[in-house]
Amino acid sequence: MTTALFEARGVTKKFGGLTALRQVDFVLERGIASIIGPNGAGKTTLFNIFTGLYAADEGGVAFQGRPLLGLRPDQITALGVCRTFQNIRLFANMTALENVLVGMHARIGLRVWDVLARAPRFHQTEAALQARAVALLERVGLRGDPNAVARNLPYGDQRRLEIARALAAGPALLLLDEPTAGMTQGEAGELMGLLRALVADLGLALILIEHNMRVVMEVSDRVTVLDHGEKIAEGPPREVQADPRVIEAYLGTAARQRRPRAAR
Amino acid sequence: MTRAALAIGLIAASAWAVATFPRSVLAFLLFQGSLLHAYLAPIPRWLRVALLAAALLVLMPVIGAYNGYYLEVATQVGIFVALALGLNIVVGLAGLLDLGYVAFFAVGAYSWAIFGSPHANLIFGGGFPLAAGWFWAFLVVGLLVAAGAGVLLGLPVLRLRGDYLAIVTLGFGEVIRVLANNLDKPINITNGPKGITPISRPPVPFDVSYAEAFYFLVLAIVGVVILVNRRLEDSHVGRAWEAIREDELAAQAMGVPLVRSKLLAFACGASFAGVMGVVFSAKQVFINPESFTFLESIGVLAMVILGGMGSIPGAVVGATVVTVLNLQVLKGLSLWLNELKNAGVTVFGLSLADLPTQLEPAKYERMIFGMILVLMMIFRPQGIFPVRRRARELAGKS
Amino acid sequence: MDVPLLIGIFPQVLLDGLILGFMYALIALGYTMVYGVLEFINFAHSEIFIVGAFVGVEILLGLKGAGWLESLPWPLVLLLLLVAAMTVSGLLAVTVERVAYRPLRSAPRLIPLISAIGVSFFLQDLIRLVESVWRNAFNLVYPTLDALNHRFELTETLDVSVKSLVVIVAALAMLWVLHMLVNRTKIGTAVRAVAEDQAAASLMGIDVNRIISLTFLIGGAMGGAAGVLFGVQYGLINPYSGFIPGLKAFTAAVLGGIGNIPGAMVGGIVLGLLEAFAASYLGLLTGGAFGAEYKDIFAFSVLILILVFRPKGLLGEIVRERA
Repeated sequence: MTTALFEARGVTKKFGGLTALRQVDFVLERGIASIIGPNGAGKTTLFNIFTGLYAADEGGVAFQGRPLLGLRPDQITALGVCRTFQNIRLFANMTALENVLVGMHARIGLRVWDVLARAPRFHQTEAALQARAVALLERVGLRGDPNAVARNLPYGDQRRLEIARALAAGPALLLLDEPTAGMTQGEAGELMGLLRALVADLGLALILIEHNMRVVMEVSDRVTVLDHGEKIAEGPPREVQADPRVIEAYLGTAARQRRPRAAR
Repeated sequence: MTRAALAIGLIAASAWAVATFPRSVLAFLLFQGSLLHAYLAPIPRWLRVALLAAALLVLMPVIGAYNGYYLEVATQVGIFVALALGLNIVVGLAGLLDLGYVAFFAVGAYSWAIFGSPHANLIFGGGFPLAAGWFWAFLVVGLLVAAGAGVLLGLPVLRLRGDYLAIVTLGFGEVIRVLANNLDKPINITNGPKGITPISRPPVPFDVSYAEAFYFLVLAIVGVVILVNRRLEDSHVGRAWEAIREDELAAQAMGVPLVRSKLLAFACGASFAGVMGVVFSAKQVFINPESFTFLESIGVLAMVILGGMGSIPGAVVGATVVTVLNLQVLKGLSLWLNELKNAGVTVFGLSLADLPTQLEPAKYERMIFGMILVLMMIFRPQGIFPVRRRARELAGKS
Repeated sequence: MDVPLLIGIFPQVLLDGLILGFMYALIALGYTMVYGVLEFINFAHSEIFIVGAFVGVEILLGLKGAGWLESLPWPLVLLLLLVAAMTVSGLLAVTVERVAYRPLRSAPRLIPLISAIGVSFFLQDLIRLVESVWRNAFNLVYPTLDALNHRFELTETLDVSVKSLVVIVAALAMLWVLHMLVNRTKIGTAVRAVAEDQAAASLMGIDVNRIISLTFLIGGAMGGAAGVLFGVQYGLINPYSGFIPGLKAFTAAVLGGIGNIPGAMVGGIVLGLLEAFAASYLGLLTGGAFGAEYKDIFAFSVLILILVFRPKGLLGEIVRERA
């Protein structure tokens, strides 16, 4: 019996008097799972706990059998869990290439001495990194100049760059927080094609937070619904869509296209 | 072709001017300007390197023969260039506002001062000063001690947010100053406000004068510091620092270990100051706590801000401009004003001799630093030589 | 260890600490109010404070030169000093805000801080320049008012000068006025609103720029008053005298909880007491090895410890909600 790739049990988080998450379980083996729910349901809080930005008050999180709670975000990244952010958090004044290179930091085996002495090992490693970064940019569909400064990229490209950066450390699990926010239906569809290809080619597992229901239905293997910090439904997309509790939580908009909300 | 001729011509002409008018501050400033021009002018790289090498390695010492003070200025500039480059790593690359940077300079300086002078006999009873040759070993000692101090300071404070970090580092700088002033009892470590002297100088080969020897030593160290800076910048270390500066949270989420990276920045920056501290104390032969105050920390900050945070040529130019301003322009103004007073010159019917004696332009360093900081922040926060220019330069070349 | 001595000097040390503490509290108010409204350390506040001291000394020297100093009742003189210093310091603070901080309000946080450091340095030498030209001297001594120097002997080891009492009373009065202003007036409510949430306050029709200027005015005035009291109490001032007290007052503000006005008062008094005790007892306890010279390190150590272990301060910080 192998341990699940990613397993969260009984995750609880309180902010002062407010309980943001209450006894949330979440298990993922492979494929694409989506987490949906009304604003304020606790989705990003859950991501923040998974990636070490917040500490959970109760519960446990494990990745490939290793407990994640108490680890720093950079340690979790090094283990193979990477993420993007709800509001784009690229390194705005660095180039696209540099953004991706920073993402590789956890995998670079060089020591300060190698850097200073410029040993052949340094040059080889850097060359390999640059080549890999360029390849990653292409894979996510960024065909422009890799030396373009991140803040000058069009919005859709910025979102793709964030994904490229998150892939840089070669994760086994990728957490994407509203990756299609602000995109047109066409763009969102393209992005979903990209995500499916990544899962197929790289053997990635994906957890998405999404408000775009069409995207969620099309691409997810499984959907989890949070409301007011609790899991109220989980299962294949069609089932969840028809679940009366879910419809109630969304006030009946599950079938309709939700407009992405502005940043909280 | 004409560009090259212009560059060569400017250097040659200004060097000649200095040789002919050794007392003219203006001529020396022109010489420095010609070096800056050679650095910036669109001339072939080999010519740029050749000109700067010739100017710094040959012309400058020759000028020093005409007016020793200029060599002294050049050496001081070199010392502050190294300090500015060190602070540049901390403030410019990693984005940590260190207001107590001079503490690392002090630590390095005192490390050689204590053991390289008879002062250590007061602590250990005998056997000091160490043979002058130990100076070279102490360059490394100073580096390590300062780096250690950087790590010690960094560990508790690196989690603080930007403005609090600034104030705490300021406090640390002041603590070092007060310690330097007062650690003459119960054990006399620093000899308090009296300072430590005489500090040994390293043995010098051939018939070279100490002034020249120190000039070349400082030049060599600055060269190494620039090299180290460049190599760190162009690596995953430099990229991590820039990422931290841009968005600390995102950097950490992408796998950059925050504390370790910041500590590395602190340690690197501190180590440059430590090495130069050792050189400084050997050069001055006498040090006391007066050289290591908040004024000096802010002076180095002004240099980095003026030149451009994170920019290596910026730090060099900033350090040069500010040091020259203080050592030459302000001082020159003071001297000139005195000459005018003595000559009985009048302005608008008022005799300059009636000017208050307390009014000495040379003492107004704070006003200069203050104006630099405020004006740069309001009008050109990226500095004279902003960083991205280099990236565009590189992109153009590839 | 001479225990009777240690106990004997206690009341005097306590009194000295209180006086020092009230002074720090007054200066700390300027730092804390500005930080509460702008989340920004007004580094130049230490010079705003010392300018008040210089205004005081110039007026006193002027009165002395005209021969009026001895004939005027000292409460009137003191009131004149305070009003003049508060006006000048307050207006200087407003000007500094307009010129050096307002253009940078939307810049990343370190930019205005660096500008503030620049202003601080600039003002130090500006004072020096003005005094050098006007009086050909910038290390100035406060002319003594005999009435103020009169000392009452309360006990064998404790005596207090009228001067000290005046400082305490004046400080308390000003703290009370500020408390009324901030908590009982419409303007005060506006200041608190802007401190809480600038965007919402402006939507409620509050002119945020005006309120910010007002905050600087009030904080600066408090600092100016503290400057006069500092000069009266300690007698000797120079353009660079503001730096260390300013730093310590900021420590006091953080100690009490930055942005928190009662916190600044509490922090100031606590720090003043700590420093007075350190200055007096440290030397006695260590047999002279580490004496009063280390009192500055003491204050800085408090700063470092507070920021590392309890950055919210004693009473809790009051800063804007992060969007």
